[in-house]
Amino acid sequence: MNSVRHLLIVDDNPADIGLACEALKQCAPSCQINSVEDGVEALAFLNRRGNYSSALPADLVILDLNLPKRGGLAVLAAMKASPDLRCIPVIIFSTSQLSQDVKRSYELGANCYVCKPGNLVEYFAAMKSIEQFWFGLASLPPRGEQTKQ
Amino acid sequence: MSSSAAKLGIDSSIGPKPKLRALLVEDNQLDAELVLRALRKDSLEVSAVIVQDEAGFTEALRTHSPEIVLADYNLPNWKGMEALTVLRRQNLDIPMILVSGALGDVTAVECIRQGATDYVLKDGLARLPEVVRRALQEKCERGLRRQAEADLAKKADELARSNADLEQFAYVASHDLQEPLRMVAAYTQLLSERYRGKLDENADKFIGYASEGALRMQVLIQDLLAFSRVGRANGADSMVDCNAVLEEVVKSLGPAIQENGAVIDYSNLNSANLPGVWADRTQIVQLFQNLIGNAIKFRGEKQPVISIRAEKTALYWQFSLADNGIGIAPEFADNIFVVFQRLHARTEYPGNGIGLAICKKIIERNGGNIWVESQAGCGATFKFTIPLRGADEKDGKA
Repeated sequence: MNSVRHLLIVDDNPADIGLACEALKQCAPSCQINSVEDGVEALAFLNRRGNYSSALPADLVILDLNLPKRGGLAVLAAMKASPDLRCIPVIIFSTSQLSQDVKRSYELGANCYVCKPGNLVEYFAAMKSIEQFWFGLASLPPRGEQTKQ
Repeated sequence: MSSSAAKLGIDSSIGPKPKLRALLVEDNQLDAELVLRALRKDSLEVSAVIVQDEAGFTEALRTHSPEIVLADYNLPNWKGMEALTVLRRQNLDIPMILVSGALGDVTAVECIRQGATDYVLKDGLARLPEVVRRALQEKCERGLRRQAEADLAKKADELARSNADLEQFAYVASHDLQEPLRMVAAYTQLLSERYRGKLDENADKFIGYASEGALRMQVLIQDLLAFSRVGRANGADSMVDCNAVLEEVVKSLGPAIQENGAVIDYSNLNSANLPGVWADRTQIVQLFQNLIGNAIKFRGEKQPVISIRAEKTALYWQFSLADNGIGIAPEFADNIFVVFQRLHARTEYPGNGIGLAICKKIIERNGGNIWVESQAGCGATFKFTIPLRGADEKDGKA
């Protein structure tokens, strides 16, 4: 991959964001990581509104479900309903193992659902797998182009 | 008040004793007088309404709220037993006594079978006060019993709800506890990886303790979640073939079985096979997995041999799972089924003491019992029952 990849992490727990950054620092040092802590901020960032007018377009979103203001599923639904955002792959990254959460996420168009591992080694391994698959193996859609229908 | 209902006797508010409200179904005024006189003679104060047809009866039920009905068997325009039909239709539990000039034994028995409380012949009215008193007494007892049953049902309901609340609490608490703990575990692990050997010797040790503690607590919380899930399980019950379950369990415990050279024998005495039972399959798998896993873990010097048998009684299947391991001293036989109860140091035998608590919960959820028969050093036999369900299973072949 020649260009720098932009990743947006949406999680209300700074410790979780810190952990994801630590993991990605090891496996993808060149990856550009941004983070926001609630659903409203996430959509503002992705739509480059308000404080985020100069934000970089995201190539991949890692989205927690349990978020203040607007929950993860609402953010997911809004993204998949937006012509500008619907092509950006969304990875739901949550501690919830409830089958209805998993099902609902895929119904709303999540590209992948990963349970947050409780153990550091597994957590780092999960981050590495996500990075390798989405930024290595997979081809991502061209950045910032609107999908017109 | 309808013309067919005439009030006899004057309600007196002076008397200390409230009058018994009686409803007489009687066409003969003189007979009615005789009935009332018989009651008053035995110091039963009565306020009575006399009716002779259905319309009058229905209205008097509403206006007079009688405590007892005294009905003539033969009426010109109605039948005494029809009064019973009206009482039933209105869902009223008021004792009705038939008062009749002549009533054959067969008819009398039939009337009582249909729901009349008793019958008294008109030439034997001296018996009437006693019959009335007994009818009222029985009704009172019936009411008390019904009240007691309702109270019991309410208590059972409250208990079920409080149990459900507790399980919900355990689930939510353990689920929410996982979140912050995940951070403690991850960051102490990160500290220990990144700063090992860079701080002093004590720091390495302290971080190690914190990290180990957090990891152990994660396992405990997961166990607690598994325990609370047994009660919350919404998997449907089905006929579970225990032979297939055992095959599955033996496969999943394969490494432990091979490492210990364990022999698992589950042929039935009579029919060479274990039965099918009505239960949640996942839970039966877990039950056998925990019991066999324990039998291997707590093995003695000898090669572990575990025999599983089932016997059918009139009401349930009784399973026994006998091992030749270290056994359990009888004084601990009940303790071992309690959550987080352990009899050995963690360094001796690993584990959190949740396995048998889960087994007990699974069995009790199915309406059965589980217990252990053992002597220290002589192996242990775990026994549990699973009730039979449905006529086919009770009558059918073993």
